[in-house]
Amino acid sequence: MFQGLDVGLSTIYFLLFGAATAACALGVLCSRHPLNATICLIGTMLAISGIYALLASPFLGVVQVLVYAGAIMMLVVFVIMVLNRARDHEVPRIENWSYAVLLVPLLLFITFVHTLTALPAETLKSDPGSLRGDIAPIAKSMFDVNQGHGYWLLFECIGVLLLVAVVGAVLLAKRSLDTPVEMLTVGEEAHDSH
Amino acid sequence: MTPIEPLHVQLLAALIFSIGLAVVLTRRNIFFVLMGIELMLNAVNLSFVGFSRTFSGEMSLTGQITPLFTIAIAAAEACVGLAMVICITRVKDTVDSDAFSGMRE
Repeated sequence: MFQGLDVGLSTIYFLLFGAATAACALGVLCSRHPLNATICLIGTMLAISGIYALLASPFLGVVQVLVYAGAIMMLVVFVIMVLNRARDHEVPRIENWSYAVLLVPLLLFITFVHTLTALPAETLKSDPGSLRGDIAPIAKSMFDVNQGHGYWLLFECIGVLLLVAVVGAVLLAKRSLDTPVEMLTVGEEAHDSH
Repeated sequence: MTPIEPLHVQLLAALIFSIGLAVVLTRRNIFFVLMGIELMLNAVNLSFVGFSRTFSGEMSLTGQITPLFTIAIAAAEACVGLAMVICITRVKDTVDSDAFSGMRE
């Protein structure tokens, strides 16, 4: 989709998406209410999916929008609204001594930058032979057992993990395990008295 | 094919990871902690895709398949994490992460 872009245009797009990503991430750090932070986080996800498309992995960008910006963030917004006691004036935003803790991510970022810029240039060189991540080559690389090991076993494990996570979340978030039985007996009593 | 420098992608990923770590370490609201973890996972995914551009052939696809699994793991993590937040908030009646320090009760 972005294959036809020339060098200057795609650099401009990368700068735009990168600035949007960084600004929205800073918005998560500085916002007062969790719902504002959620909107900022959705903006981060969308900008990162744009960068995926620029990096010739359109399938990953689509999955990012579908799963992250769609499903996961919808779940977060839903839980914040259900609990409805997410107001941050009850919980202090940043305590004074926490500003000292900000040194840790700052030092980590400086270390990252120092390490990345110290790498030899050919390690971080864009390879012209890298494949474009469309659906067909990704599916072939994941599931074709004839050409290599494939990832089908990992794929099945992820499916089982998601199933277990959903069952565990339902069991954790239910008010108590025998709630439906109580409701059932109440209903039966009401039915009998009627 | 892609004129974007992999170094710039890695720098952006490092910036997002640092911001996510700052959110996790400094904010006291438990929702912000969860969102910081999501930011850090996103940064690692971006780093994977950025590095996949420096390989050729099948290796470049491997760097794009790993984020798919990471996204699925993040979905499971958000699911269980939010259920635990609901569960503990019912008992403690607050979203302050300092109140979540006890292992009993």
